[in-house]
Amino acid sequence: MSFHNSVIIVASPRPRVGKTLLARLLVDYYTQEQRQVRAFDLSNGEGSLADFLPQQVTVSAIDGVSGQMALFDLLVTADEIVKIVDVGHESYESFFTVAHRIGFADEARKRGIAPVILFMISPDRAAADAYRGMNARFRRATLSPVHNEMLGPNQLRDRFPPAGLGAALLRMPALAPGLRKYVETPPFSFADTQLANAKHIPLDVHIELQRWLRKMHLEFRELDLRVLLADLQASIRL
Amino acid sequence: MAKPAVILVGADKGGVGKTTVSRTLLDYFSAHHIPTRAFDTEAPRGTLKRFHPGVTEIVDVTQIADQMKIFDTLGSADAKVTVIDVRAGLLSPTLQALNDIGFIDSAKKGQITFAVFHILGPSIASLEEISQTAEFVGDASYFLVKNHINETSFFDWDPATYNSYFNQIKGAQDLTIPKLNEMATEQVEVASVPYVQFVANKNAKGEAANFSFVLRGYVRHWLGQVWGEFDRVKLNELVASKSESNVRQAAS
Repeated sequence: MSFHNSVIIVASPRPRVGKTLLARLLVDYYTQEQRQVRAFDLSNGEGSLADFLPQQVTVSAIDGVSGQMALFDLLVTADEIVKIVDVGHESYESFFTVAHRIGFADEARKRGIAPVILFMISPDRAAADAYRGMNARFRRATLSPVHNEMLGPNQLRDRFPPAGLGAALLRMPALAPGLRKYVETPPFSFADTQLANAKHIPLDVHIELQRWLRKMHLEFRELDLRVLLADLQASIRL
Repeated sequence: MAKPAVILVGADKGGVGKTTVSRTLLDYFSAHHIPTRAFDTEAPRGTLKRFHPGVTEIVDVTQIADQMKIFDTLGSADAKVTVIDVRAGLLSPTLQALNDIGFIDSAKKGQITFAVFHILGPSIASLEEISQTAEFVGDASYFLVKNHINETSFFDWDPATYNSYFNQIKGAQDLTIPKLNEMATEQVEVASVPYVQFVANKNAKGEAANFSFVLRGYVRHWLGQVWGEFDRVKLNELVASKSESNVRQAAS
């Protein structure tokens, strides 16, 4: 199973917690890893996933059954394409209500696809309640909390316990203030091979960016390996 | 040997979803491994038979020969449960016929388990049907079914009025069938397979199909709710002494 056939859902019921940044990082990471990636954008507003990655991103709407079919029928197709879903806070409830109702996580497992939910944690009570609900509704998914260090130190560990095969806390290091203006302006891509030669990015900023990216990629690799290992252990037990 | 059970599904009004309920009943008993047969009274062309051809026979319930086909074979048929999908307008005449042939008396004596699923429409006329059928049902298990599959609104009824009709039948219970998404309904219609088979992604020949996972999910969720209602009124206990546990897995 592992990330070769996986659906990674980046979500939070709160806005501005770093969902789209994480989704962009994942798409670019898998692109650099020479894997086929497809992404789905369920968020509105400026700086959306589709703004940064127009070639790889499908803008989805799940208000109607046709839109739900277009999205979920693709997500449960085992085609060795890594699928990333950026669930904006406006779509959070409807997305997970539909996913639960149609048995998304069970079907994905049945088809050899690892369903992974990366939940951006935040100190508000709504996020903790939403996480608890997610844990109860998606027992067959890997539910990993994501601590975005931009939002402050992690003092919330107890409220967001990792759950499911290979789950663990994923750390998203704080982005240096000097980097943000480059990273948050479309069409910036972390996978851009010409990034090192980009004249508008000063050398020190570039070095800082590479350091930050290495930390993120390490987190992704560890998560990938944990999911793979947990899956292998589960199949040995069977 | 367990006594045979007869379930009459009907309404005097058309288009209230009788066949839908009959289909969910056949799926429910099949999942509980309770041998069941069905009679479709929409002669000469039956909708129920299209979905459950293996267990369904089309009959004209007003004809004595067909009445014999159904009721004279209750004790000898392999199927323990007989579901009769009664055509619109024939519920009261069918109950009258059952009374005339002594079937209702046999049910009263406990020789046969008899249940009536009366599918209600939204009108007061639908409530008046209750009093018309009440005089026949006697000790039968009587279920008043509010079927929302056609987006029927039952909220227009004054609860006191509804209860005055409802209370006319001793031990009557009501059931609610939720609405199934239109697109899912349409796809199952096109596929012409039982709901359980649609959920299992199998076509009419039992081969792997390519139905939408989303639509299958909606049908599975809806069927689970309907079966939950059947469980609530202990339908499997009514028709069988032994029930299987966890049968809803059959829909997954």
